[in-house]
Amino acid sequence: MKRNSLIAGVIGIAILAAVPLFTGNPYYIHMIGTIMIYAILLFGLDIVVGYTGQVSLGHSGLFGVGSYTAGVLFLKMGLPLWAIIPASIFVTAGFGALLALPALRVTGPYLAMVTLAFGTILQILINEMDFLTEGPLGIKIPKPSLAGVQFDEHGFYWLVLSLMVLSLVVVDRVLKSQLGRAFEALRGSPVASDCMGVSVYRYKVYAFVISAGFAGLAGCLYAYSEQYISPNTYNFELTVLFLLAVIMGGRKSRVGSLLGAAIIVILPKLLDDLEMFRVVASVLAVLMVVGGAIAVSRKMTTPRAMALPVVGTIALAGFSFWLQSITDWRLSIFGLMILFVVYYLQDGIVGFVRNLFVRKGSRSTRAVVRAAGEHADAIMNASRTGGGDDLLAAQGVLMQFGGLKAINNVDITVKRGTIHGLIGPNGSGKSTMMNVLTGIYVPTAGNIVFAGRSVVGRTSSDIALSGIARTFQNVQLFGEMTALQNVQVGLHHTFKSNFVDIALHSPRYNREESASVERGLGLIEFVGLADLANEEARNLPYGKQRLLEIARALALDPQLLLLDEPAAGLTAPDIKELITIIRKIRDHGITVILIEHHMDVVMGVCDNVSVLDFGQKIAEGKPAEVQANEKVIEAYLGGTAA
Amino acid sequence: MLQIKNLEAGYGKVQVLHGISMEVPKGKVVTLIGSNGAGKTTTMRAVSGMIKASAGEISLSGKRIDGLESFTIAKLGLAHSPEGRRVFATMTVTDNLILGAFPRLTGSRPKGDVASDLERAMELFPRLKERRDQLAGTLSGGEQQMLAMARAVMLNPEIVLLDEPSMGLAPILVEEVFRIIEDLKARGVTMLLVEQFAAAALKVADYGYVLENGRISVHGPAAQLRDDPAVKAAYLGGGH
Repeated sequence: MKRNSLIAGVIGIAILAAVPLFTGNPYYIHMIGTIMIYAILLFGLDIVVGYTGQVSLGHSGLFGVGSYTAGVLFLKMGLPLWAIIPASIFVTAGFGALLALPALRVTGPYLAMVTLAFGTILQILINEMDFLTEGPLGIKIPKPSLAGVQFDEHGFYWLVLSLMVLSLVVVDRVLKSQLGRAFEALRGSPVASDCMGVSVYRYKVYAFVISAGFAGLAGCLYAYSEQYISPNTYNFELTVLFLLAVIMGGRKSRVGSLLGAAIIVILPKLLDDLEMFRVVASVLAVLMVVGGAIAVSRKMTTPRAMALPVVGTIALAGFSFWLQSITDWRLSIFGLMILFVVYYLQDGIVGFVRNLFVRKGSRSTRAVVRAAGEHADAIMNASRTGGGDDLLAAQGVLMQFGGLKAINNVDITVKRGTIHGLIGPNGSGKSTMMNVLTGIYVPTAGNIVFAGRSVVGRTSSDIALSGIARTFQNVQLFGEMTALQNVQVGLHHTFKSNFVDIALHSPRYNREESASVERGLGLIEFVGLADLANEEARNLPYGKQRLLEIARALALDPQLLLLDEPAAGLTAPDIKELITIIRKIRDHGITVILIEHHMDVVMGVCDNVSVLDFGQKIAEGKPAEVQANEKVIEAYLGGTAA
Repeated sequence: MLQIKNLEAGYGKVQVLHGISMEVPKGKVVTLIGSNGAGKTTTMRAVSGMIKASAGEISLSGKRIDGLESFTIAKLGLAHSPEGRRVFATMTVTDNLILGAFPRLTGSRPKGDVASDLERAMELFPRLKERRDQLAGTLSGGEQQMLAMARAVMLNPEIVLLDEPSMGLAPILVEEVFRIIEDLKARGVTMLLVEQFAAAALKVADYGYVLENGRISVHGPAAQLRDDPAVKAAYLGGGH
């Protein structure tokens, strides 16, 4: 699979490179060049939209910044190409940071509004600052020269092609690295990302800045390609077109970006000419009929579901032959086609084709081959830094939500190397306690000292990196990522390599990446999921998702592991296995706090147990003592339990 | 009431169910037992239309429901209390319960007395009554579990699918949940039950099916399964 796509890629690039040799027509060369320039921007935009799941309506503004950096540097300072390209990238990345730092504090529609405003302001600024940008008059730029050679139309085409291929490789490498995993993780579950030491805010900003850098490169090339830039180009419509291109081509796919770029450049041009439109509409209708027939015969869809799109495309083809002139209808038809794609191909063209071919295949059993025993130490022994015998000491913790005291003046001390049970009725404040310990909530009063340092007021990711790992009561895996990738996000802290290392695949990066695969597989094997390492997390059964969460938490190399109801939803035999796993974790010196309702688990593994009820500690001691405590029986255990 | 014939279903390219057939007669409680990943939850989801069956037939009161959308199936009287507490977090407990009766309010199902059913649901779960004006998202995990179950009952359904109703509940509440299931059974509610406490489930159920790797390996009256040494060893374990 990987080799095939590599071969396909090389052939594709070779064909693109050969285009100017076969057609001398500058119109087509310019058009394909524009597609490639847009593709560079879309690679970057896809990082933000496809991977981190944020919406940006500011990318046409950033595109404009790239163009105008090139234009101004050429006009005012006459800088050469080799200086202008990096300058455009860095200046635009800087603007990206300027946008991202405040904007990414908000999410969803608010973020869309902020980015939209940013893009509009940039356009207005370019228009108004005529001492720098020549205002509405625009700037003329000749085709560049490099090392004394003046680029002609062909030369510039090849320059764009090589930069596009370079961008593609860099983006691909970034997305397959720990950075890409962080981007995807924060989309999958922000709270889990933070608790794995991957700061959601910081990585959103990184994604935006990297994305802006590519927008800058694209903008710079666009200026040279058009040889004239003016503020009107970088308007709201362009930003919407960019977003549409990502969605139509297919999220999370480089091929999708290329396709999307081709569509937004070519489609409006095809609609300029009636003859051309008739051909397009007919081809579309034939494709739809054939595709529909295949889909129905393979039982992937019902004839009823296919009826509307098939009839619709046939009607469009009929309409094209009935039309006398297209000029009045152009925009309406363009809009209809876009509506059609967005409605019927929600995963974009690439996603649709992918579903068509890999559906219902045999389960991919890329067996993970590794010799047994080589990873004996997938779990690090806990370090003993900081603090004395008491690893964790919570004093007078109060957590108040409005008038409700979810935790009311609780003291808990956890000894290093022990398993400490936390039990109590539903709603007694156990999970709230977990959230306070991991920085998701800041306690109203009280102090919590972990390994000699207070955790109060520190961010979740900071606390996670200092050695507290956790699992979640309602599973918080990164659903679209494989089991192995989930664990690798937990191993994020083992990476020291930076953007340059990743882009160049430096020895340091390669070493860290293969080490993380090795350890990730070891951890997955430790919880007994070795044969599911390459399965997407959302496809695992509930109980196995819980085990995967434990593996991911262990990847943080924690001193303290918080398990929130690990046995919920497990059957009796699975629970026995879980008990063995928890004991093995303790044998590595890792201290465990265990919230659990299954008394056989609590009694079987815990050294000490604290009982909460209505936010207050009502009992504490050895498991047997607690089990015999009248108050505990009344509030929690009931008559027949264990 | 509910009939399943040679059902096959899965997620994307992963097939989970390899042709299972089972039946839930009217007024009876049937339980589905199996280890993690055997396909219990997948069966529930296929029945309520949350995922599409790739082959086989599912019918409710003689009417084919496979291929229908979830909301249509709910209108036909099938209530699903899903695994893992899917409640409407930003709405109050009361509003969550009233939404459970939505098809009754829009006229797709006989209306009956929604207000008194609401009170009755609150009686069943006194904990919810205490918190009726609280937002569901601020309930503890266990309370959300109860809310999901109570919401399913609010449909006044022909049949209820209960997926792990006791998950994450304190021991004292686990007893409570089984008492409620007994209660519903006494009122003639048909139920399909998936439970990690298989022994307790077999106690309340009339009939049981054992799922293994997406196929039904054993089935029979609940009492008989409870005494089956193979079932005992594999699923009932020591606890509870």
